[in-house]
Amino acid sequence: MDWLQFYFDRLLQAFYALRDNRLRSVLSVLGIAVGIAAVMAVGAVSKGGSYLVFSELETFGLNSVWVYRDRNDKDPNRRVRKGTGLDNYDYYAMKETCCSAMDKLTPMVFSRERSIIQTGNRYSNARISGVNSDYLDINNDHIIYGRNFRPLDIKRRRASAVIGPTVVEDLFGKGSNPIGKDIRIGIRRFTVVGVLEEKSRDFLASIGSSGGQDANNRILIPFTLYQQMNGSKAINFFQLKARSLEEADLLSIQVKAFLERRNGKNYKYKTDTMATYIGTADRILSGVAMIGVIAASISLLVGGLGIMNIMSTSVLERTREIGLRKAIGASQADILMQFLLEAIVISTLGGIIGLILGAGSSIILAMVTGFPLTPTPLVIIIALVVSIIVGIASGFLPARRASRLHPVEALRYE
Amino acid sequence: MISLHNIHKSYYMGDVTVPVLNGIDLSIDNGEFVAIMGPSGSGKTTLLNIIGCLDSIDVGEYSLAGEKINTLDDKSMARIRSQHIGFVFQLFNLIPRISARRNIELPMIYANVNKADRYSRTTTVLERVGLSDRATHVPTQLSGGQQQRVAIARALVNNPDLLVVDEPTGSLDSKNGKEIMQLFGRLNADGVTIVMVTHENDIAACAQRQVHLLDGKIDQDTA
Ligand SMILES: Nc1ncnc2c1ncn2[C@@H]1O[C@H](COP(=O)(O)OP(=O)(O)O)[C@@H](O)[C@H]1O
Ligand SMILES: [Mg+2]
Repeated sequence: MDWLQFYFDRLLQAFYALRDNRLRSVLSVLGIAVGIAAVMAVGAVSKGGSYLVFSELETFGLNSVWVYRDRNDKDPNRRVRKGTGLDNYDYYAMKETCCSAMDKLTPMVFSRERSIIQTGNRYSNARISGVNSDYLDINNDHIIYGRNFRPLDIKRRRASAVIGPTVVEDLFGKGSNPIGKDIRIGIRRFTVVGVLEEKSRDFLASIGSSGGQDANNRILIPFTLYQQMNGSKAINFFQLKARSLEEADLLSIQVKAFLERRNGKNYKYKTDTMATYIGTADRILSGVAMIGVIAASISLLVGGLGIMNIMSTSVLERTREIGLRKAIGASQADILMQFLLEAIVISTLGGIIGLILGAGSSIILAMVTGFPLTPTPLVIIIALVVSIIVGIASGFLPARRASRLHPVEALRYE
Repeated sequence: MISLHNIHKSYYMGDVTVPVLNGIDLSIDNGEFVAIMGPSGSGKTTLLNIIGCLDSIDVGEYSLAGEKINTLDDKSMARIRSQHIGFVFQLFNLIPRISARRNIELPMIYANVNKADRYSRTTTVLERVGLSDRATHVPTQLSGGQQQRVAIARALVNNPDLLVVDEPTGSLDSKNGKEIMQLFGRLNADGVTIVMVTHENDIAACAQRQVHLLDGKIDQDTA
């Protein structure tokens, strides 16, 4: 307990000294508080931002892998071949024998021409995709009314459609239930069997990368029927789901190798994985966060310089006191510790207040935006450790100058 | 108790050397009350600071209570000041805005005295200097004489072997000055060794022994 008494006594001395200069102490405490709060707020904002981006990226299906023809491929005679390089034979072969890392697979079929989509006198400009019954699972899509395609719908080319909420609004009116009703695509009639749950890609859309389409303005139909309407067995690309996020890269290697073994004489293939997109997004976001934190750290640095300034002034003003303390038995180490403690008390108080301000603003931000942004114990520990370090760093030079004052000269100082 | 031999001390201001002490030999025994006198600038304070282990010497030997001082580092000098010496200054040098009791406790904090002992020892020295009823007053609430008593209590609180006193009445009126000198007389009668600098004859007369400095040398010693 002796050492506790030792530090308690010295801490009290620091409090007395700071109390002597109340206004100055309060100002420098605030300087640190603002710095800590700024760093925390920036951290919270960037954490919120990455939460937003990742939750939107998730709507593409985290484990997704896309495989499509590499348009730069050329045959040995350097003639460019036509076509998508993918067809139903590839699909059935992939389903049977491809790829240990593959969980699910859907062909994606599109049309060059835009068909008119209508019900009565209402029209839709939705994008039509030909898919199979695994599409929804792969894309993290959920049905709110009706049902998904059944394998038999695909096999028998049944004229059924799963549509997004914007399509419902355009063709049937907001909030109505269109299950069992008909829509016309070109000259054909489709029965609506399911409605997709609303998906938010507002943020990605706002930066121009919503994956090329509005997620809520989609019409899904059996790819087999779409091929028949197109008069072609071509498949534009495949979307696959890896068994896990970790196996996404393996799957993209496996599927590329599989397809090139089958068709390599004519075509080469390329793959994309959600994992690489997420990696890229992660790098960009942490870069942005880093810049923000650096900017906020500058205000912390200014707070530290504030402490250094008032400690220097204090050392000068208390020169005689320092001489006196040495005369009555204080060593250099005692004086060094005294002034360091004063700086640390300032910065730690600032850290605590900044923590409260920063936590408060994060919580308000969380309520306004809906991101989960509760400050963690780790953040609290880091904020306190950082403030103590700022205190030591900014108090050290003035404290060392105080400790090295010659007692006689200090006592003589006017 | 104090033995100074051939002490030289100069101050250096840029290229200029200002010699202050030019070969001081002085011995002081336990229980003595010595006044160091001399004209202003004769080196009295410089000599006193050396005796108080606050300043270093250029040439010579100094031993205090059997310990050789001239070779010690900062930490050991601080320890000696803490254990063996009590300082009293002309300008009191109390820390403003903390109470008399907290001022008196300071030397014990540096000597790592525990809290309970600090309290009782402070009470005892406050009684000894006649200020028991002023313990919670801050310096600005005390008269000059009372402030100097607090400073003396602070100097006494670690039970030093030696009181080192520089012009203790220089900031006081003659009545308060007299009372302070009576206090020193009583402390000396209780066995405290005192070395006091003054340039006033009637103050010096309170001591048993007078040492006169002139041009950095001892000119006259009544011992
Ligand atoms: N830090 C210093 N630098 C230069 N000269 C000094 C310093 N301290 C004291 N002196 C000079 O040393 C001489 C003795 O000073 P001091 O011991 O204070 O004399 P006294 O106490 O007898 O008046 C004086 O001439 C003073 O100007
Ligand atoms: Mg003097």
